[in-house]
Amino acid sequence: MKRQRVAITAMGVVAPNGCGVPEFLDALLRGRSGIRQVTLFDPAALPTRIAGQVQALLPAPLPDRKIGFALAAAREAFAQAQACGTAPSGRGGLSLGVGLELFSMDDLAAQRAGQSPPSSPVERLSFMQTPSDLCAHFLSEAHGLMLPPLLHVSACAAGSDALGSGFRRVRDGRADFMLVGGTDSMINPLGMAGFAALNATSTRNAEPERASRPFERSRDGFVLGEGAGMLLLERWEAALARGATPLGELVGYGNSLDAHGISEPHPEARGASQAMARALADAGLLPTDISAINAHGTATPKNDPIETLAIHRVFGQHAKKMPISATKSLIGHLISAAGAVEAVAALSCMNAGFVHPTINLDQPDSTCDLDYVPHHARRHRQAYVLSSSYGFGGHNAAIVLRGQEAALAAG
Amino acid sequence: MICVTGASSVALGPHDPKTLEPTEFLRAKKTRKFMGTQDDLAVISAGRALAQAGLGAERLAERAGLFAVVGYIPFNREDIDPVLTESLEGERFSMQRFSSGGFQQAHPLLTFRCLPNMPAFHVSANFDLQGPYFVSYPGAGQVYAALEEAVSSLNDESIDVAVLVAVAHQRNFLVEHHFGRITPPVAAAELWDAGACLVLERADFARARGAKLRAELLGMQQHYEPHDALTQEFAGNETLSGVARPPGERGPALLFTALAEAVGGSAAALELVHRVQTRDHVSAQSRWRVLS
Repeated sequence: MKRQRVAITAMGVVAPNGCGVPEFLDALLRGRSGIRQVTLFDPAALPTRIAGQVQALLPAPLPDRKIGFALAAAREAFAQAQACGTAPSGRGGLSLGVGLELFSMDDLAAQRAGQSPPSSPVERLSFMQTPSDLCAHFLSEAHGLMLPPLLHVSACAAGSDALGSGFRRVRDGRADFMLVGGTDSMINPLGMAGFAALNATSTRNAEPERASRPFERSRDGFVLGEGAGMLLLERWEAALARGATPLGELVGYGNSLDAHGISEPHPEARGASQAMARALADAGLLPTDISAINAHGTATPKNDPIETLAIHRVFGQHAKKMPISATKSLIGHLISAAGAVEAVAALSCMNAGFVHPTINLDQPDSTCDLDYVPHHARRHRQAYVLSSSYGFGGHNAAIVLRGQEAALAAG
Repeated sequence: MICVTGASSVALGPHDPKTLEPTEFLRAKKTRKFMGTQDDLAVISAGRALAQAGLGAERLAERAGLFAVVGYIPFNREDIDPVLTESLEGERFSMQRFSSGGFQQAHPLLTFRCLPNMPAFHVSANFDLQGPYFVSYPGAGQVYAALEEAVSSLNDESIDVAVLVAVAHQRNFLVEHHFGRITPPVAAAELWDAGACLVLERADFARARGAKLRAELLGMQQHYEPHDALTQEFAGNETLSGVARPPGERGPALLFTALAEAVGGSAAALELVHRVQTRDHVSAQSRWRVLS
């Protein structure tokens, strides 16, 4: 089977520190945090009261924030894709990382009180539990995506997995174009309380913008975020033929299972290493070809040292020569959307000629000994960036992106 | 040629016990406390299917991929009720009461028992599957997505063994609620807890290791109709030919269950055809030759 090159021809993003790629990129390069006090509900007595909350009001056909985020990000991507006057054509599909079904305590209380469930489809489909797969159908209908949608629920790796499986469909000729990405919002009472009960989230409530501290000695857990990232993948030749200018190229994907612990990564970073090594092999690249890494970087005590170890294992001496950015320091952890939004961050920064900073990195942990680009963006020319995601339950995914300059130079 | 070397199913109907016991398949017994019903279904069906295929850890690890489809999220009423009780102000949910005490009523392991990727975790950890994976959401449409991913990974030889798991914990108040409100509704008594597993391999690889080939995948196809999910409600239907349909609504597990029953009980070769039109406008079909 002849492998097709896979162009990234458009992107869209909804993030806590910016809606739309230009605003998001500006925030990344300026090191502007999107972490604030939670205002979506009153979290007064919860241990964690901060999050990366999207500020924009985005319309959605159901009262489920992640649906509005996904639709907005996809609209931006398709508008960009069609800016040249043509649209991608042929067999199009969707590959979407998506979060948990929205579970409403208000609706549960209403049901217990014996109130009748609402009768209209809109109300019925948002009463008690809104099936997450609805989001895929809204997106497919809005953009005429005729292939059966792929839904990924591999927790924090879902966004990267969505990009990877969509990439393979285009590369193998099973699709002509794919809308790929992730969307999530767990900034709701059950979501916030659930993570707090696991002691997984930062309680640095007094200084929200300083709370997400990947690789830092005083890190105390992740900060929840919300948002969506969407990218449009097309066959390289088809994209050029219709007059589109690729923003870059997706060249490799690998994923793996830790087969180890439910909430702790493999102590030798086996799964994380396997995912990165498979992505490099899939791209036909050597570790030394990678110019920078967009890290998973959650700021949890367990994850950051293991991720650092995995980078050492895969990249050897090259590990210390690459800048490594943690987008979660700026926007928090977007769970199922994380990998997709971080891919948008990586590619837009790459094309701008910069790596964005890992903010709040005052004193790196002694076990975290790489160049994490503390505090300030740095000018850095990049041909290839690897972006990784590691999920609860031992799901690991990595993708390799080629920047616009290198991709166009390759012909 | 892609073939089935192991298949197993497990199901609990309306009159069956509430729980299953997967302990015999657990590498670390302490993980039992993290497991919900859909995890039990996944581990038991995978354990039996891998045993039938004659596959132990030495053949799996990095060369085995996992392709899992789970049902709607099944928070248990007994886990949620205490949270709600402590969060009410009169009959209404009170955020203040939830924050000050309600959330503390949640069982600390609640999250682990309901997350849709947990069946994949338990199967991977107990049977040492370290290869690529695909973990997806409810519905027969996603079963075909998982099947396509598995076949693609086998054909490009990135793996030698694909473990496909479909599970749904449906005797559950939230899931019953969901099926009761859609058009047409499905009665709670029709909803079964169901899990099933297929072990797929390339025929040449299976033969080389001396495995018994139990069925062959002859072909599959999928089609999707983008639609307005709020107004174009559709009943959907799912049929099997060549074999009897197992009783009850099995969620995503029906196809794998039918194959498991066919390979376990067929004295003569037969052709099994599965056709589905899902409520979300995916139509798909697969043909299998079950070997004698």
